[in-house]
Amino acid sequence: MADETKTLTRERIALGDLLRHADDKQKLPAAVPPKTVPVEPLVPQPGQQTLAVGQRVTRPDSRNHGLGQTKYIDDLTLPGMLYAKIKRAGIASARIVRIDTSAAEAVPGVMAVITASDIPVNSFGPTFQDQPVLVGDIVRHAGDGVAAVAAVTEQIAAEAVEKIVIEFEPLPAVFDPLEAMQEHAYKIHAPNSNIYASKVIRKGDVEKGFAQSDRIFEGQFTTQMVEHVPLEPHAAIADWDANDRLTVWATIGRITLARADLARTLTLPMSRVRLIGTIVGGNFGGKNEISQEPALALLSKKAGRPVKGVFTRSDEFISTTTRHPFVMNYKTGVTKDGRILARTVRLVLDGGAYCSWSATTLGKACILASGPYNIENLISEAFVVYTNKTMTGAMRGFGAPQVCFAYESQMDDIAKALGIDPIEIRLRNAFGEGAISPTGQSLHSVVVKESLLTAAERFGWEERP
Amino acid sequence: MIDVTVAVNGSVRRAAVPPETTLLTLLRDNFQLTGTKLGCDVGDCGACTVIVDGMAVNACLMLAAQTDGRQVLTIEGLATKDKLHPLQKVFEESGALQCGFCGPGMLLSAKALLDENPEPSVYEIRDALAGNLCRCTGYSKIVEAVQDAARMRQTPQAHEAHQLEMHGQDHG
Repeated sequence: MADETKTLTRERIALGDLLRHADDKQKLPAAVPPKTVPVEPLVPQPGQQTLAVGQRVTRPDSRNHGLGQTKYIDDLTLPGMLYAKIKRAGIASARIVRIDTSAAEAVPGVMAVITASDIPVNSFGPTFQDQPVLVGDIVRHAGDGVAAVAAVTEQIAAEAVEKIVIEFEPLPAVFDPLEAMQEHAYKIHAPNSNIYASKVIRKGDVEKGFAQSDRIFEGQFTTQMVEHVPLEPHAAIADWDANDRLTVWATIGRITLARADLARTLTLPMSRVRLIGTIVGGNFGGKNEISQEPALALLSKKAGRPVKGVFTRSDEFISTTTRHPFVMNYKTGVTKDGRILARTVRLVLDGGAYCSWSATTLGKACILASGPYNIENLISEAFVVYTNKTMTGAMRGFGAPQVCFAYESQMDDIAKALGIDPIEIRLRNAFGEGAISPTGQSLHSVVVKESLLTAAERFGWEERP
Repeated sequence: MIDVTVAVNGSVRRAAVPPETTLLTLLRDNFQLTGTKLGCDVGDCGACTVIVDGMAVNACLMLAAQTDGRQVLTIEGLATKDKLHPLQKVFEESGALQCGFCGPGMLLSAKALLDENPEPSVYEIRDALAGNLCRCTGYSKIVEAVQDAARMRQTPQAHEAHQLEMHGQDHG
């Protein structure tokens, strides 16, 4: 090892190498290994406190992050690499009458242009394959891609994209999820209904529960669309080589799913698709499926050169998945002392133009909609509907934060109306050890009450003004 | 094309670039210094922060030509050959870097602050980092790290004593 490094001249050693080398040889203060992390498994048995809490750990990759040595996709360059841009529809609902890419193709430096007709299987999606890679016929939201261009520089690709002419025939549009549920509403994926997934959970007898209640509280709660805004935009490099093998570097959290989707859209055997998941500069659920990757692959095939695509911040907002806006109707029957006897919940999720991870979000939201509370009589129903908006998908919590906002807001309303302390009313209803969830699951390691009491003590609940 | 001569991390570099070239493009594409990140390209996120003549700037909003004859410090120049900058050390130790994409910009904004104001208050730290967005950490650990680094730069002994007091163990 020592002899080997001696032969390297200083110039030839990259900064990162020098520093790593320096760790051992030059007494660089190394990443501090936590000295007191116990040897015992950090995963606790039910009812045990994990030993990991309170320990300081250092991420193994943070040294390079801090040195600027981590290579994200946009930091990689392949020989002969081209840069791609995607032409967005810019209109929420329309039929494409004509696409003319000739002016874009004529721009010097443009090496390939593709549209929907170039895509072998133009649909993908983690649950339903309802999303096209590039739209050929019906535009369903303004961020839909219509054509993709690869050019020798990013500027030339951007200029060429502007020269693509698309003739649209505007179609009716629906933006409000409640309106989209109506029978007469414009069908975004005609002939299918706009309601594309639903779930109902029933427990006990809500009518009886409401009849026994002293007070009934009703409220509607709504949440807004949220974009993940990872600091690193979606980025990928596709290299379709002369042996018809495809290598894709992508900022995707679900590599196998992406590989399957690529194989499907491109009609390649999976064995010919190599997907390299690089270090991701923030995901938060927004990088859990393919987006531009099949288009980059086909551009690479057409141009015979590797193609990089990096979304602009605008692309991020208009064309990648977001958090579902929810419309949540809660009806809760309680006794005078604040015990919940019955609850009905109706959730309408604004699903945007395509399904993405909506079905997963819907299921989790529906199950968690009654909160960590013992409710004998419950109906929880949830619907996700298409609208002509940016599609909604996975985002941290998969629907849990939205319903939590609703049931906790209503809990505060109930506490206030009944004159009960907000902590107390929660303690009276909260799950304990062995509680049964709305779907019949027996719950263990339940510490809702303990957590609440500890939190109340720590944030000085008793001392509040 | 415009000729630009700029001292980057202490080395004089030259490039001939189209007039619209930003400092960010110059650093990333011409000089292969990819530690400076492109997050939004419109000056909102701060991922491209570098230090020009002692001042933290968004490299995506500054033209390469404007840096002619000036000193630019990028993340690649923050550590010396054998020593991390105190900010890099504390960011690493205190979990202030998660996905790491905002890290280079955040570190350089913090450095510009500490060079100007060696003992900043929490408010001053938050103010100095207001132009650097992070979606992972929630900022608390970043602000704590900058406080730690300030302490460390004052006296390494005070830093160690503080570490011991805060965490009840020697973090060396």
